[in-house]
Formats: sequence, structure tokens, C-alpha cells
Amino acid sequence: MRHFVVVGILVVAVAVLTYLGLHTVGLMPVPASAQAGPIDWLWDLQIKAMTFLFALIVVPMVYSLFVFRRRKGDTSDAEHIEGNTTLEIVWTIIPLFMVLGMAYIGAENLAETRRVDPDAMVVRVTGYQWGWTFDYPDYGITSNELYLPVNRQALLKMESRDVIHSFWVPEFRVKQDLVPGRVTELRITPTLIGDTYKVRCAEICGTSHAYMEAPVIVVEKVAFEAWVAEQQALASEAGQTPEGRGLALVTANGCRACHSIDGSGGVGPTWFQLAGSEVPLSGGGTVVADDAFLKESILQPQAKIVAGFEAQQMPAYNFTDEQVADIIAYIKTLK
Amino acid sequence: MERKYTVGSGLLFLLIAGVIGYFIGLGIDALIMKSVRWTAPVPSAFALLFAFTAFFFGVYGYRGITRGLVYQVVWTLIGGFIVTGIRAARGLSVFSGFFFTEPAWVFGALAGAVAFLFGVGVMDDWVKWARGIDTPEHHEDEPGWEKYLGVSLDHKVIGIQYTITALFLIAVGGTFALIFRTELAASGLQFLNVDMSLFGQNGPQLYNTLMSLHGMIMIVSILLGISGIINYAVPLLLGAQDMAFPRLNAFAYWVSVPASVLLLMSLVLGGFDTGWTGYPPLSAKAPVGQQMFFLGVFVAGWSSILGALNVIATVLRMRARGMTSMRLPIFVWASIATSIIALTATQLIGLSFQLVMFQRLFGMGFFDPAKGGNPVLFQHLFWFYSHPAVYVFVLPGLGVISELLPVFVRKPLFGYRWVAMSSLGIALVGFLVWAHHMFASGMNEYLRVPFMYSTLLVAVPTGVKFFSWVATIWNGKISTPTPMLFVLGAIVVFLMGGLSGPPNATVSVDLHLHDTYFIVGHFHDTIFGGFVFPFFAAIYYWFPKATGRRMNEFWGKVHFWLMTPSFLILTFGMMRVGLLGMRRRIADYDPALGFDFTHLILTICAFAIALSVLIFIVNLFHSIKHGEKAEGNVWNSRSPEWQVPSPMPSHNYEQPFEVVGEPYDYGLPGSKYVEFIPARGGKH
Amino acid sequence: MAHTQNKRSMLNQGVFIFVYLAVLTVLEFLVALSFNSTAVLVAVALVKGALVVYYYMHIYKLNAEHEGDHHSYEYKSGTNRVGLWLFLVSDSFVFGGLLVMRMNLLGLTRPHLDQTLGLFVTAILLISSFFMNRGETMIANGDRRGFLANTLITFLLGLGFLIGVVFVEWPNAIHEGIKPDNGPAGAAFFMMTGMHAFHVFTGLIFLAIVWFNGRRGLYDEKHYPVEAAAVYWHFVDVVWIVFYPALYLVGTAIV
Ligand code: HEA
Ligand code: HEA
Ligand code: HEC
Ligand code: CUA
Ligand SMILES: [Cu+2]
Repeated sequence: MRHFVVVGILVVAVAVLTYLGLHTVGLMPVPASAQAGPIDWLWDLQIKAMTFLFALIVVPMVYSLFVFRRRKGDTSDAEHIEGNTTLEIVWTIIPLFMVLGMAYIGAENLAETRRVDPDAMVVRVTGYQWGWTFDYPDYGITSNELYLPVNRQALLKMESRDVIHSFWVPEFRVKQDLVPGRVTELRITPTLIGDTYKVRCAEICGTSHAYMEAPVIVVEKVAFEAWVAEQQALASEAGQTPEGRGLALVTANGCRACHSIDGSGGVGPTWFQLAGSEVPLSGGGTVVADDAFLKESILQPQAKIVAGFEAQQMPAYNFTDEQVADIIAYIKTLK
Repeated sequence: MERKYTVGSGLLFLLIAGVIGYFIGLGIDALIMKSVRWTAPVPSAFALLFAFTAFFFGVYGYRGITRGLVYQVVWTLIGGFIVTGIRAARGLSVFSGFFFTEPAWVFGALAGAVAFLFGVGVMDDWVKWARGIDTPEHHEDEPGWEKYLGVSLDHKVIGIQYTITALFLIAVGGTFALIFRTELAASGLQFLNVDMSLFGQNGPQLYNTLMSLHGMIMIVSILLGISGIINYAVPLLLGAQDMAFPRLNAFAYWVSVPASVLLLMSLVLGGFDTGWTGYPPLSAKAPVGQQMFFLGVFVAGWSSILGALNVIATVLRMRARGMTSMRLPIFVWASIATSIIALTATQLIGLSFQLVMFQRLFGMGFFDPAKGGNPVLFQHLFWFYSHPAVYVFVLPGLGVISELLPVFVRKPLFGYRWVAMSSLGIALVGFLVWAHHMFASGMNEYLRVPFMYSTLLVAVPTGVKFFSWVATIWNGKISTPTPMLFVLGAIVVFLMGGLSGPPNATVSVDLHLHDTYFIVGHFHDTIFGGFVFPFFAAIYYWFPKATGRRMNEFWGKVHFWLMTPSFLILTFGMMRVGLLGMRRRIADYDPALGFDFTHLILTICAFAIALSVLIFIVNLFHSIKHGEKAEGNVWNSRSPEWQVPSPMPSHNYEQPFEVVGEPYDYGLPGSKYVEFIPARGGKH
Repeated sequence: MAHTQNKRSMLNQGVFIFVYLAVLTVLEFLVALSFNSTAVLVAVALVKGALVVYYYMHIYKLNAEHEGDHHSYEYKSGTNRVGLWLFLVSDSFVFGGLLVMRMNLLGLTRPHLDQTLGLFVTAILLISSFFMNRGETMIANGDRRGFLANTLITFLLGLGFLIGVVFVEWPNAIHEGIKPDNGPAGAAFFMMTGMHAFHVFTGLIFLAIVWFNGRRGLYDEKHYPVEAAAVYWHFVDVVWIVFYPALYLVGTAIV
């Protein structure tokens, strides 16, 4: 009996101390969305349960190792106890109710993270190897950064252009895959202003999966509107010139996920000082990057492979001749 | 056989043949590609296969495994050239950057795997039977260690073959882990950078290949490891002379060898970057290595299926007299539960991979949305196996825990029936939970909550095991030699892993945890607790039975005390960074997250684990010859195999036994589990 | 039990079962033509499958011979029987997976196939099962000539089925525009029939082996191999009993 009392006290003590320890360290990143609230609450509940269960099993075990260890010279067996049906039933039924309860709470919790706000702002998210594009159909703008007004629900309608990706901002908690051939949805209500968040692709999608990130910026409503106005102005201004339209196309199609514009490395060759230069091809030979070559490279990337780069990486694009000309005009500005 | 074969000559052969193979490959490659490509796939592939084969030639001569490997290499090439010839005749492309085209590689690899089986000799008896020729029931093995390199029908030999192969794969997969862990030690790309190129891959891609292969090679090693323990122990525990189908047993082992070769070939043939799960559409686009990976898993799957079939048949048909279902050793119950899953569900991973293979080869659009396919369907088929598979990994391990605890606690297993039935419970409920890997996948929304319920239910039978173990230990007379240390370690580590399961199972929380290092921590804990620790426990425990000697206690304890804390830090650290935003399967992480220091610690722990495993491997091989003699009932166990002297004679028990009592009645004076039936003279 | 019934009654039983199967197949076809109820089609297929599993594959034999000398031929055959059935259980998961794939991709639509041809090859396979049953019964009763003749017929019918599917139905489907690489219907159709045809092919190999060995004079006492080949053959038949409605009858045809 004394053993049970001691162990009982120890279990509680260990459980409480472990929980407090974990709680002080802090386990989750800052919660920055309305969806993070219920999730963190449930997580905390689970940590309580788990620390308790851990103590409940490990403490008696370790206690026995010390108290009931075999003394030197003792070769006899321990007491013959085969089992106890009541006990077995108890430790079947109690966990059963615990998990049923947890599942019930979990379902409620899930519903809470999915609560619909009819005024939600729609953002169309496109994922591709290896970048993100965000369209704001209400405002007619496209961006490679996700700007969100604080405290307004965003309804993300997500599509993938090639393989499966997954939208995840750790501070927002919730996550959703982008599946080619269908539109998946996710609702997020940012609650904390900040510009250090990032969308981090959470489903392996090939060589540069690690770098498939995009900045997320949560701002006040006013600042958001200012940003929208600025983008709209830029877009309409850019629409006047070929290189402006080219830049818009490059943004919308995520070319810069693979091509840098400043000479730095990447999955594809840089565009810096590309136009007119001599490009070495894999398998020997070179070619001058004139308009014809650039056009071919965009419409049929497999036709000529630049030395040191992988064939198969760059997808073929379906642009009109005009669009290609715009893109080439843009590439030519990169000197 | 006059020549003396040694490991030394094998290593010499390995080196020479590796170099020769490399240059032959280089020459062929240069001939066809018209440029010398030092790091191209073909020279490396040739070097690998030549070296491998030559090593076994050096230690064993041209028979058994050596002949199998030669057949495999030759037929891979023949198969490849056949398809290449057909393609040439039909005016299709003939060679690619990986030498053969993809269909040629696939067909060649399959032909090679089949040829291996004929070469090694497991098919001999069956071929004879098909031609109407009878064969003797048993073949006598050659004495000494050489029998392990050829076909043997003895379940003990096969068990040891499995175990050694599993250890070899753990070393390979672990070495891959060490490589990519080193890359992860700091943010930024250290040596796996974009400028490097090996086997037709650049650094980040090589990271993906190594990471994916680490996962699958380790999983195959688990499947072989449990087969090893089950094969060795189950017939002994049942009092059987052998498994029900000895030839099938040998076959199941030997298919795993070409399967492992195929997995390794995927590394040199351009690799693949999908992780072990191989989700399309990514896997439909990856290089040929993906196909080798699929084929390797497919072939290894047959090992698992046929092994499981054999186990169930053996338990149903080969028990000693009096061994009723409630008197089965508990490990046997665990083996049955595992085998039920492996027998049935394994077909689904084979099918799902096969469908992707066909999608790539024939353009059949099962998972291609552009052709009306459905990428999520793949995930359902895949996880229908791969979730139950995780219980395949752990149930035998949990069985080992339940089997060994009473011996070292000197008390009966608390609640035998409940523990036995909980294995079946886990196995059966385990079939209904697969979609918990897909909460964020975009599958039908209404499936999420039911799968949350079913997943959480698994905690109940697992809990029964834990509570029964604690009750067994309670008030026992506990001694802690090395096997018992690993049993205790297994309980703690598996508990950590198990308890990190329910948060994943609750949908909303999983939306945060999914595809992060929290999951990586979760499954390393469950796998180490449920397989690796019990596997080591089992080896330490049954080693004297197999060899008549003990493994060194001191180094065993060093192994344990080095591995356990490092491992706990490793997985705690993984869970911590995972919660804070560390995604899985990334070669590089954002320095802004501030994980550099934690990752450095994790890498150091990984090396500490590797060191401990190295110590174990040295101890194992050293003790075979030099261990302390132990021919009696070393652990003072009631189990039948310990009632006869070690090492076990080749046809097991000289006299059959009859079960006369309960298996775990420690502390009941005068009770006995088995009684040997006096020989009636003559051999049966 | 193999030896408690005499040869005649066993052969008669085979005939009865075959008649049931034939009637059910016609019924199934008519159902599909008239009111096309998926539930009825599933029920009929299950009944047909159950008939074959019980009477042709005599699953009840699994219960026999649990006691006795572990080294006797009888006991070992019992063990082999357990092994074979476990294999079939395992194998049926492949076909189950294919059905899931088909339902997921096609739902209640089906490829537009040649109905006459479908019914024809189905009939051939059912008839082959009938002869297989006769062949097995004959050898169990010591009638080697009968066994050889019936097994040969089975083999030829099986070959006919294989040719019908692979060399007639496949080109036919491709001609109709159902190709492996142009949509889910073609992918599902070729995958399912292909996997089944592969099993038929292996079944033919087993039949050939037992036929040759039978001719060489084996199986006087030890005729388990014939039983195994037969059970496997019927299993392939059962699979087709399910696949046939799944591909040809259920739902509405799409072009
Ligand atoms: C050996 C293998 C093993 C085992 C045994 C388990 C056991 C469990 N696993 Fe794990 N799991 C994996 C291996 C394993 N897992 C792997 C490899 C992956 C990743 C695959 C990949 O994507 O690569 C994974 C991923 C994984 C996921 C998907 C995560 C994601 O990707 O989003 C989930 C979600 O539900 C999950 C849940 C569980 C649960 C609930 C259990 C339960 O069985 C645990 C039950 C045990 C306990 C709960 C502890 C003891 C019980 C008690 C003390 C009783 C009282 C308890 C309660 C009342 C809760 N696992
Ligand atoms: C049995 C299963 C098993 C085992 C034992 C391990 C062991 C280890 N695992 Fe792994 N792991 C998986 C199964 C396993 N893992 C799976 C399934 C994945 C998922 C893959 C995926 O996402 O697709 C994974 C993924 C995974 C990741 C995530 C990678 C990523 O997402 O990018 C990491 C990261 O740290 C990791 C680390 C380790 C480490 C450090 C060990 C260490 O314990 C390794 C220790 C080293 C050894 C055991 C080798 C020691 C032996 C020698 C050195 C002998 C010397 C050589 C000879 C004698 C020839 N593993
Ligand atoms: C997935 C990565 C990826 C994306 C996205 C991508 N490219 Fe590329 N691109 C490459 C790679 C790799 C190469 C070099 C190999 C080759 O020539 O195909 C390349 C080559 C090129 C070249 C030839 C460059 C040279 O140095 O000769 C041009 C021009 C080009 N891409 C334009 C584009 C445009 C325009 C887009 C967007 C509409 C785009 N790319 C999107 C990967 C990508
Ligand atoms: Cu996109 Cu990972
Ligand atoms: Cu799972």
C-alpha cells in the first residue's frame, strides 16, 4: 500500500513538473491567426493529458526498477500473479472514454477553425515548382507576396500547376495541400500585424522544395488598401510598355522561382545580361541568345539545354507571340 | 573446394572489381554518349554491381549468392538490350542520359531480379517438381558460416540471414542519414549544393534521394528484421521442426536480396525526390531512379507477403501437442497479428506503385488529372498499406517486450489474454485508420472526422499493453542484463512515440503538425521503440541460442547507455523544431527560424547513435567466436527452446514436446510449460 | 470430404452448379439490359462467386485433417491447402484495389465495350471451370484418362479466353477509341483485364504442368497438385465473375 501512495504522489509531481516545464519553454510559434486559437488550446489540453499518461507509466516502471530490483544472491521467483480482469477492464474503459472525448472535442475544434465569414476576401493562390503567385480577383492584381489585411478572413482558393504542394504559414497553423486538377480551399483570419511570416511549401515537390517560400505580410486595413492602390497603379502603368507587360507575365507565371535577375544562381540560368550573350549548351557547342533562341527556350524548353542545368526542369509555356515578345523585352532590360 | 575463401580476399576482390567495373562502365558510356562523363550513372552502377559481386566471389566462390548476383547483372543487361533492340526496330529512341531508356531499365531490372532467384538456386526444387521429379525433404547444409551465403531451408539459418541483411541495410540507411544529417547541421547548403553533381543529380536533389532512400531502406530493413526474429523464434517456440513451407521461406528471404540491389540502383540511376511515399504527380516525373525504387519495393513486398503466409500456416499447422491458442507464447500471437496485415495489405502498396509505373511506361492516366486521373486516389491506395504497415513494424517488437519481460521480472505476464488480444485489436483497427495521413490532402472533407475517431481508438489496445507491462514489472524481482535494458528502453521510447500519436490524429492540430519534423520525431520514436530497441533486445537474448556463446555484457551496456540518451535528445529536438516550423524533407532551412544550434545537436546525436550501433556490430561478430560460452538456460527461462542445450541442433528438438502448463507461470512452484516426450527409438 | 461421395454424385454436382452459374449469368446480363440495378448486379456476382468458392473450390476442405501425424501426406496436403488459400486471400486484395480504382475513377459509368464478346469470353471461362472440376474429380477417383481429357479441354478454353481478351477485345477497344493512355476508362479497362489476363496466363502454366505430369503417370495417390491448380483456376474465374459486371454491366456506358 505504501508503494502505491508514494508512486501516486510521484506520478502527479512528475506530470505537473513536466507540464510546467514544457509550458514555460513554450512549444508553438506565436499564434497569428484566429484559427491558431482553438488549435493551441487543444494542443495544450493534449500536452496535459500526454504528460500525465507518460508519468503514469514511466514513474511506476522506474520506481519498480529501484525498489523491486533483484537483490544479490536472491534466485527465487517473484510472487505468482497472473492478472486481474477488473483492472484490465478499467484500463480499457477509461482510455476508451478519453479518446472518444478527445475525438469529440477534436471535431468541434476542427469546425471552429473552419468557421466561415461571408465577407471573406478571396485570394487565388497558385503553386508551382517552385514558387507562389497570389491573385486578388476583387482588385485585379497579382503579386508574389501575400499581403493580408489584419482581422479580415481570407478565403484562399488554391491551385497547383504541376505537382502537389502544400500551403503552410506556421504562425497561422492550418495547412492545406494544393492538388493539380482541382481547387482546394483554406480560410485564414490573420490577427497579428507582421512582415516576417512566410508561406512554406510543406509537401515535397522536387529539387527546390526547401526554397518554395513566399513572404506573407499582414497589415492594417488602411495600409492594405494603400498597397492595393499602389499595385493597381503599377500594373496599369506597366501595361503601357512591352517590358512592363513582360514583367507582369513573369510575375504571374512565377518564372523568378527558378531564374534570378541579378546574376545569382538558381534552378535555371540567370537572366542577368542574358540577352545577346553566348550561351554554352549541354552536349557541347554554344548559341547566341538572340530573340529566336529566347523564344524557343520559353516555348520549347527541351529543345536546347543550357550547360550545367537539368533538362525536364522547366515546364513548357503556352504564350502568344505577343506575350513572348513582351517577356523578351523585359529580359533585355536586365543589363 | 580447395581454395580458402576469406573476408580479406573478398575485400580485395571488391576493390579491384569496383575499379574495373567503373572503367568498363565509363567506356561503354563514352562510346554511346560520345563524351567522357566521370560522374554519370552508368560507371557508378557498374562499379557498384561489380564490387558487390566480386566481394561474394572472394569469400564464397561462384555459387549461391555470387551466382545470383552474376545472373542478376547479366540479365539486367540482356533484358535492357532486348527492349532497346525492340525500340530500335520500331524507330523509338534507343539510349538516354541514363544509358538505357526507361522501359529498357524497368524490364531489365525485372528480368535481373528473377534471374537472381534462378542463379542463387532457390528455384531448383520447384523446377524439379514442375518436371515431375521428387526432391528430398531436407537438404543438409554445409557446416560453418558458409551456409549463410547460399540457399538453406533451415528456418534458423534463414532467420539469421534475414537478421544480417537487416543489419546491413540499417548500416546503409543509417549512413545515408548521417550524410544528410551532416548537411542539416547548419542552414545553407554545405556540401550538397547546386554546383556538385553525382549520379546525374545535383546537391539538393541528391539530398532528396538520400532522404527518400533512407526512409525506404530502413523500412525494408525493419521488414527483414522482424522476419529474422520471427523465422528464428517461432518454429522453436511452437516445437516445430521447421516452417510449414521451407522452400517458400528460403524464396521469401532471397527475393529480398535483388530487391535491396534494386533500391541501391535507384541511387545511381538519377535518384528520385518524392520521399518514401512516392506521391504522383511528382513521382510520375522523377528520373528513372524512381522506377528502380518502385520495383525494389515491389519485389521486397513479395518477401513480406510470402513470409507472412508461411508464418500463419506454420502457427495453424505445426504446433506441438497441447499448445492451445491460450497457451501460445505471446510472441507467436504478435507474429500472427503482424502477418495478417503483411499478408493482405502489402498488395496495396505494390498495386499503387505498379500503377504509377504503368502511368510512366504506358501513359495510363490513373493519377494524372490531365487524363481524368486522381492524384488523391494514389494516397488512399498507398496508405491503405502503409498505415497498417507501421503496425507490422511494431507488433513483433511489442511481442518481444511481452515475451522477455516475465523472464527478467520472474513474474507471469500480467493479463496474458488481454495482451494477446490487444495485438489482434491493434492489427484490425489499424486497417481502418489510413486516411489520417491525408487530413490536409484535399480528400473528401467528410472523411476527416470518422478517421480521427478510428485513429484514436488504436490508443486503447496499445494502452492495454502498456498497463499490463507496468503491472508485470510491479513487485517483480527485476534483473537488468542487456536484453532487459533494451526492453525497458523500448517501453519508454515507444511510449513517447505513441503519445505523440493522438495529437496527429486530431485533425485540427494535425493541420499544424502535418509534414513537419514533429511527425519525423513521432515516427522515429515509435519505430525505435517498437522495432529497433526490441530488435536489439531479441538479438542479445537469442544470440546464445544460436551460437552457444553470449555477447559481451559490458559493450552491450555501453551500446545501450550511448544510444538511449542520444536517441531521446534526437527525437525531442526533432519534435521541438517541428512545432516551431521546421518542414520535413528539406535540404536547407531558413536561418531566420533560428534552428541552427538545435540541428547541430541533433547531428551530433545522430553520430552518437551510429557509434553505438557500430559497437554493437563489432560486439556481435566478435562474440560469435570469442564470446563467453553459454550452452545452458542462460536466462533461466521457461520457454521450450531454452530447455535444450545451445546451439540448437539443425533439426531442432531431438524429442518432440508436449505443452503441459501455462507459458509464463514464474513463481508457481513445480509448474512446467513443456515436457519432452521420451523418444520411441529410431528417428521420426 | 473427397472420398465420402462417389464419383458419379460429384460429377452430377458439378453439372448442377454449372447450370446455376449459367442461369445467373444470363440473368445478370438481362438485368443489365433492362433495369441496370447495381445492387442486383453485385448480389448476383456475390452469389456466383460463393457457388464457385464452395462447390468448385471446396473451401470447406480447409477444416479437414487438423489432427494426426504431421508427416503424413494427408496432413501436409492440409497444410498446403491452408497456404494456397492464404495466397488467394492476399491476391484478392490486388483485385479489390483495382475495383476501388475503377469505382473512384469511373463511378457509375463504364467503357463502351462489345457486349457480345464480353458475354462470350465470360461463358468460355465459366465452362472451363466446369471442365476443371470434372478433371479434378476424375483424378481423385483414379480416372487418369478422364482427368487428362478434361484438363486439356480446360486448358484450351482458358487459352481461348486469353486470346479473346488480349487479341480480340483489346484491339477492338482500341479501335473504338478506348486506349490505355487517353482517359480513365481505358486505363481502368486495360489495367483490370491485363492483371486478370496475367493470372489466367499463370493458371495456364499450372494446368500445363499438371497435365504433363499426369501423362507421365504422377498423381496416383498424391494428387494434391491437381487440386491446387484447379483451385487456382477457379479463383481466376471468381475474379472474372466480379470483373465482368464491373467492366461490362454496371452503370452507363461512356464512349
Ligand atoms: C512504427 C510505427 C508507428 C506507430 C506504432 C504509430 C502509431 C501511431 N501513429 Fe504514427 N506514424 C508513423 C509510424 C507509427 N505511428 C510513421 C512512419 C508516420 C509518418 C509517415 C510519413 O508521412 O512518412 C506516422 C504518421 C502519423 C500520422 C500522420 C501525421 C501527418 O503526416 O500528418 C498520424 C495521424 O494521426 C499518426 C498517428 C498515430 C497514432 C494515433 C498512433 C497510435 O498507434 C499510438 C498509440 C499509442 C499510445 C497512444 C500510447 C500508449 C497508450 C496509452 C498509455 C493509453 C492511454 C492513451 C490515451 C488515452 C491517448 N501517425
Ligand atoms: C527503421 C527506421 C529508421 C531508422 C532506424 C532511422 C534512423 C535515423 N533517422 Fe530516419 N527516417 C525514417 C526511418 C528511420 N530512420 C523514415 C521512414 C523517414 C522518412 C523518409 C521520408 O520522409 O520519406 C526518415 C527520415 C529521417 C529524417 C527526416 C529527413 C527529412 O525529412 O528531410 C531525419 C532527419 O534527421 C532522419 C534521421 C535519422 C537518424 C539520425 C537516424 C539514426 O538513428 C541513424 C543512426 C545510424 C546508423 C544506425 C548507422 C550506424 C552504422 C554504421 C555507421 C555502420 C558503419 C557501416 C558499415 C559497417 C557498413 N530520418
Ligand atoms: C521549374 C523551373 C523553371 C521555371 C518555373 C522557369 N524556368 Fe526557364 N529554365 C529553367 C531551366 C532549368 C533552364 C535551363 C535548361 C534549359 O535550357 O531547358 C531554363 C532556361 C530558360 C531560358 C534560356 C536561358 C539561357 O540562359 O539560355 C529562358 C529564356 C527561360 N528559361 C525563360 C523562362 C520563362 C520566361 C519562364 C516563365 C514563364 C521560365 N523560364 C520559368 C527552369 C525554369
Ligand atoms: Cu512545393 Cu514543396
Ligand atoms: Cu498512420
